[in-house]
Amino acid sequence: MEWGNMVHTIPTAPTARDWINAWRVARSGDSDSILLTADGPILTTLLMNHKTGALTRLCWDMRDSNGGDAWQPSWSGIGETMVVEYRLARERPELSWQLPDHLHVRGKGLFTYPLGPVRADVAESLLYRLHVMGDEIIRLTLQNGFKERHIRSLVSGKTIQEALPVIARFTTTSNVHHTLAMVMAVEEAWGIQLSQQVQITRVLLAELERAYSHLGDLAMLAVSTGLPVPQMEYLHLKETVLRINFALFGHRYLRAAIVPGGVAARGWHQDVDPVGAAGMISDVLDQAERMQMGLERTSSFMDRLHGAGRVPPAAIQWGRPVGPVGRAAGLGLDVRRVRPYAAYSDFDLNTPMETDGDAYARFRIRVEELGESLRVVRRILGGWNPRELSPNQALEVLNGPPLQASGVGIVEAPRGLLGYWLRFDPKDGRIAHAAIATPSERNWAVVPDAMANGNILQDFPIIDASFALSVAGWDG
Amino acid sequence: MYYWHWLKNIVRRPETTGFPTDPDGIAKTMSNSDAIQTRARPVEGFLRRSLAIRHIDGGSCNGCESELGLLSSPDYDLTRYGFSFTPSPKHADILVITGVITDAMVPVIADVFEQMTAPKRVVALGSCAIDGWVFRGAPGVRGGLEGIVPVATRIAGCPPTPGDILRGLLATVDGVDPLSGLREIWP
Repeated sequence: MEWGNMVHTIPTAPTARDWINAWRVARSGDSDSILLTADGPILTTLLMNHKTGALTRLCWDMRDSNGGDAWQPSWSGIGETMVVEYRLARERPELSWQLPDHLHVRGKGLFTYPLGPVRADVAESLLYRLHVMGDEIIRLTLQNGFKERHIRSLVSGKTIQEALPVIARFTTTSNVHHTLAMVMAVEEAWGIQLSQQVQITRVLLAELERAYSHLGDLAMLAVSTGLPVPQMEYLHLKETVLRINFALFGHRYLRAAIVPGGVAARGWHQDVDPVGAAGMISDVLDQAERMQMGLERTSSFMDRLHGAGRVPPAAIQWGRPVGPVGRAAGLGLDVRRVRPYAAYSDFDLNTPMETDGDAYARFRIRVEELGESLRVVRRILGGWNPRELSPNQALEVLNGPPLQASGVGIVEAPRGLLGYWLRFDPKDGRIAHAAIATPSERNWAVVPDAMANGNILQDFPIIDASFALSVAGWDG
Repeated sequence: MYYWHWLKNIVRRPETTGFPTDPDGIAKTMSNSDAIQTRARPVEGFLRRSLAIRHIDGGSCNGCESELGLLSSPDYDLTRYGFSFTPSPKHADILVITGVITDAMVPVIADVFEQMTAPKRVVALGSCAIDGWVFRGAPGVRGGLEGIVPVATRIAGCPPTPGDILRGLLATVDGVDPLSGLREIWP
């Protein structure tokens, strides 16, 4: 792993000024904060330059500060600190963090519309408080934490084999990427080398997951504008991809297909037909392109999406959204190109970019990425033979101690940049500390600003569906 | 706009599977044969087939939500058995609960169950809702619905396939698993 301009340590008992200076250094290098962790008294942020992919580490030594008048990230007002605040408020309750107190909106004619945690037909638990005046949304506050499973503390102290099933259930619709990021961190720490066949199979798994995840999100977007026909079509395509997953890897959601040192699958003792699957993927691609053309000629769909939920430029600078949300707003960070992992350096991926930052731009990004994923899947399946995969020899290595104490895995999940930074016990290789940065956790921060940007209450489901973020990823 | 879709439907067979009441090879391969356990008993003359389902996420990983969403897809089409999703607990007959039950969701689940009108039944969907699965022992995780609401049916699986969810819903009404014809009761 390449460390950028190495460790930048902030003195003990840092003040708000130290904090701001550190962030200035970070921002001057065009970096995005991706992980933050409070591991004992040392607070660490990992920064990634989004042009070169180089990593920098910022450390804060809190040993001599007594918490009370120490630095408080809220003072700095810099966007990336909000993840810091949420994370630290949970992990170090003894430090008195000032959580961003949501502005209390008051006024004549203002109505607060509480929605959640039980909402919609099938939806995750999250409480929206929509403050509306007439039809216009003046402000949105989100309250999460209903489904916190404390995965970060649950995996601490576990062996890798024990932690993998928990990590695979962080967010099921991106479980391949969660597993892949963790496995990459493990392989870095143990110095495990992989064959090209395994790397290509991992790209296949990752792109299958991106395809069905985007198909599900597009179905939600179609029904939010009151169009059940494309919703049903997209759901049928999603089910088709899930059945292909089952036929190839023995699980509809590809769970446990990635293991340290290789890939594993439950279905491989049966006859796997990659060529037949490639033909089905071709059909899905054709139909998805027809759906896109049909939707773009449907004026009721286009009218609702254009200009809805535009992320304001200040929020883009402040929150630096990642994934399709960021790429729709002109932030072109794609980890598959910046820090190619698995076999992505062999694939010349076309990363779509839009600059409008509205619901239509997010729809465009999703359909383009869906097409790109399906084309990659089809190309891999054309020459893929699971029987050529070499047997996995890494499992014995994992019983020994790691070569280095920590490992990093950064991947591009369907919803954006996903980072794992694991610290291992040097003696027995158990996980000592897990820092996990999920894309949903980061992107939810720009949703209130996008929602309260001249939209009306009727736009709410469309904007919500166009972001397509998971609450499980935020509440992990 | 979607004329090509209508034309396509003239020449194609419907996508909907007959599973679980009629045989379907693919859906049966994906399903887990002993996923269903039920305590439900049919209520003569009351609980028939126009049932509204309310779903609550009690701390899931969104896998069960993804599969529940696919129940409305043309491949499974839950309305052919008379089920439908409802946003209001007051209209609901079946409460489907997913996820490891977190402490924060316990009062919400109890409240929603109370708001439902009798006859009403609860389905614990997914291995997490049954016993916490891999999250057992995590801080703030209850792991199971004991002492919160009475569970009529358990659908095991991580996540259970849409076919298994349909089996579980039918078992919640009829008291028997339509696939095996058996009533499996947990101890």
